[in-house]
Amino acid sequence: MQSNLETLSSLERRLSIAVSMQEVNTEVANRLKRLSRTVKIHGFRPGKVPVKIVEQQYGGQVRQEVLGDTIQKSFGDAVREQNLRVAGLPKIEVQSGDEKTEQFEYTATFEIYPEVELGDFSALSIEKPVVEVGDAEIDKTIEVLRKQRAVFEPVQRAAAAGDQVKMDYRGTIDGEAFDGGTAEGSTVQLGESRLLPDFENNVIGLSAGESKTFTMAFPEDYHGKEVAGKEAQFEVTVHQVLEPRLPEVDSEFAKTLGVGDGDLDKMRSEIRANLEREVKRRTIANVKDQVMKGLLDSTSVELPQALVEQEAERLAEQMKQDLQARGLDAGNVPLPTEAFDEEAKRRVRLGLIVSAVVDKHGLSAKPEQVKEVVEEQAKAYEQPDEVRRWYYQSPDRLREIESVVLESNLVEWVTGQAKTEDKPTAFDDLMGNAQ
Amino acid sequence: MTAQTANQERLLQVILSPVVSEKSTYVADKNEQVIFRVAKDASKPEIKAAVELLFKVQVESVQVSNVKGKKKRFGAHLGRRRHWKKAYICLKPGQEINFAAGEA
Repeated sequence: MQSNLETLSSLERRLSIAVSMQEVNTEVANRLKRLSRTVKIHGFRPGKVPVKIVEQQYGGQVRQEVLGDTIQKSFGDAVREQNLRVAGLPKIEVQSGDEKTEQFEYTATFEIYPEVELGDFSALSIEKPVVEVGDAEIDKTIEVLRKQRAVFEPVQRAAAAGDQVKMDYRGTIDGEAFDGGTAEGSTVQLGESRLLPDFENNVIGLSAGESKTFTMAFPEDYHGKEVAGKEAQFEVTVHQVLEPRLPEVDSEFAKTLGVGDGDLDKMRSEIRANLEREVKRRTIANVKDQVMKGLLDSTSVELPQALVEQEAERLAEQMKQDLQARGLDAGNVPLPTEAFDEEAKRRVRLGLIVSAVVDKHGLSAKPEQVKEVVEEQAKAYEQPDEVRRWYYQSPDRLREIESVVLESNLVEWVTGQAKTEDKPTAFDDLMGNAQ
Repeated sequence: MTAQTANQERLLQVILSPVVSEKSTYVADKNEQVIFRVAKDASKPEIKAAVELLFKVQVESVQVSNVKGKKKRFGAHLGRRRHWKKAYICLKPGQEINFAAGEA
């Protein structure tokens, strides 16, 4: 076997490979002989078919098979010999494959994995958000929880922002009622901009049993096209004004939150633990995002087109399944793979960089690390043994854990290399931006 | 009716198909003979002329045999497959029939 490597572009390579035809021919003959022992051809007893007849019938087919195998084997050998890493599938073109020629020649055009020039990670700066979970945050959370559990009670006074109002209203434009302008007994929360501000301002100040007639203009950009920008007359009758009553922060309240013995200190500490867990999770996610972004920015890689296309196709396929899962007929939705090009490029690039970093610095997941994560997961369940077994039973599940470990290894390593600063961050900022 | 005067149309109908079997490959190797299934009423001279016409070869001799159709029973009924005629064609030395070209 002879092979000859050409460099077409920085990533594209062409291998011209020649195999002696004799090898192919003997292999074909061997297979035909083996075949003649089993084939059934009309007019012959099984196993008594002359090789010549078998060749007439099956010669071409066997030859194709042998050539296919030869290509696979010789290509693999050549690639190993030249120390190439092939990305995607090679394009094979047979140059001369006739029985009579001495050489079977073909060319394989393919792309190789790019050398990843790892950037200087020490130049990266990563901001690690540091958030203190203090009393203020806990109070705020409690406040939110109280609002969620508010009870509304009717009161005899004028409605104000924050109250609920039960009312009838009838709206007309030039004396005509319009769609959605009339309702009876509808309950609305005031002061949360659920209504048009003009309407709300008119309702505020009314007490139960009062009614009022007023005109107001719909804003130009109102979503109901027919009424947008028009003046309407409303007749509103308020039946009830309801005042929110927030539950007291007491043991009753604690019980509704699942603290069995209603101990307030315990409730606070539980809320704190929850918040801290959430903060930790978001911090890790935030740092990870930064690390990945840093890797992408600091390293330049030329992407093999074949890989990008593969990835894009995979994404498109995933999208299709997603649509189907949501009950849409995906067969009719045209999903051009080009639409996924950008995302595919990003993923391939990240994948290449990550594997390069992992290879170079030996960050792959170690069995004991995997075990640790599995243990941690198992602890959260009632039967840890079951969970452990469940994970170790299938390589797929373990691989999931491995990738998690790998990711955290990588993040740890990069943060070790890069300039890492602790950045005090407001609680709300972290919660907001990591979503 | 001699082979020379037989009209071509008739000759084209004489030879039906080659016989491919263990025996036919055996005699082909041993005696340089080729076996055909031929029309039931074909004569030796006709067959000779037909082979020479179709395959452009020279025939040394022709032997024929009548093959009885197999008896087959379907339920209570006894039936018989069609009888047919088989011709062994011996070619002159050095000649060969190229089936792919001849049937064109």
